[in-house]
Amino acid sequence: MAADPTRRVIIAAAAVLPLVAVSGCGGVDVLASPPAPARDVGVLRAAIAAEQLMIMRYAAVLGDVQNPGQGAAGGGTSATLTAALEPLNVPAGSTSPSPSPSRRAGSAPPVPTAPTAAIAFLRAAEQAAAAAMLDRMRGAAASLAQLFASISASEATHVPVLDDAVRDIAARAGA
Amino acid sequence: MSKLEEPREASGGHRVSSRAPRAAAPGTIHALQAALAAEHAAVYGYGVVGAYLTGSSRATATADWVAHQEARDELEAVLRSSGSQPGPAAVAYRLPIPVRTPGEAVSLAVILEDRIATAYLGLVALTTPAVRELGALQVRASALRAAFWRGSTVAFPGLTAAALAIPQRPAPDREASASP
Repeated sequence: MAADPTRRVIIAAAAVLPLVAVSGCGGVDVLASPPAPARDVGVLRAAIAAEQLMIMRYAAVLGDVQNPGQGAAGGGTSATLTAALEPLNVPAGSTSPSPSPSRRAGSAPPVPTAPTAAIAFLRAAEQAAAAAMLDRMRGAAASLAQLFASISASEATHVPVLDDAVRDIAARAGA
Repeated sequence: MSKLEEPREASGGHRVSSRAPRAAAPGTIHALQAALAAEHAAVYGYGVVGAYLTGSSRATATADWVAHQEARDELEAVLRSSGSQPGPAAVAYRLPIPVRTPGEAVSLAVILEDRIATAYLGLVALTTPAVRELGALQVRASALRAAFWRGSTVAFPGLTAAALAIPQRPAPDREASASP
């Protein structure tokens, strides 16, 4: 949805702003060493990398939606997983993430193959991501702190959805 | 009658009473009072929500109503410990949407939680660690409640569309670009 910017777009836009501000400064000596990036830039880059990694984890679990047989969840279970995870607001394009530093380095995240184990893997990843984002919030400037707190809260809301997904899969298997 | 309006950049928390600064800065007090005002409104709003629900939905609404009462009490304690008088609740509030059905009651719960999250992000913007932590915990709590009532999650709980607007780059100067 065009009017609903993805999380990657928002934090990437926030990361660019300090650089624009620096480059727009008339006092920079062009022959001097490039100025060190503002601290916020590093913090935002780390946040972007973490979000990209999370997207890749979901993509790995749901991979065979686009590439049958190649996803960790395997053929028929992928549709089940997709349906179970539907309440999640996974950023648009999550099944084909843009290249990230870790992806370029060839470090695709390993994912369990059993559906319930795959969801447990995502659940643990979401919990860890929410905690890590809170850590970033603690030392961040005001506006970034709000952004990180919001993202951390969003990631926390994914955990009960994943719990429901496990229950759904168990119920379908028992039916 | 107060309007149940969208809280601005301010807000409250969770379990900070013992760590609250004794003489808080005016900005902190303002943010805490704004969060308290939002909680007063939420307590009122959940009374309406619960009245239209039954069964497990009503039980959940009751639990959320109690959670907001506890958050309200916590904020009042923090304000008192900072030497400030907590703001009172209004006698009644104008609801943001008409509520006549269970579905509308659920919609109201979503609105309440979204606005509470926005209010608590105001505390996150402050630099006092305990207050920021309190704000973050409450943003998460409201996001979880909102996700339950909405039936889905959102990417940026508490952040409004205006806050998420991506700044545009300055438009290129036509005359300058047209000239050699």
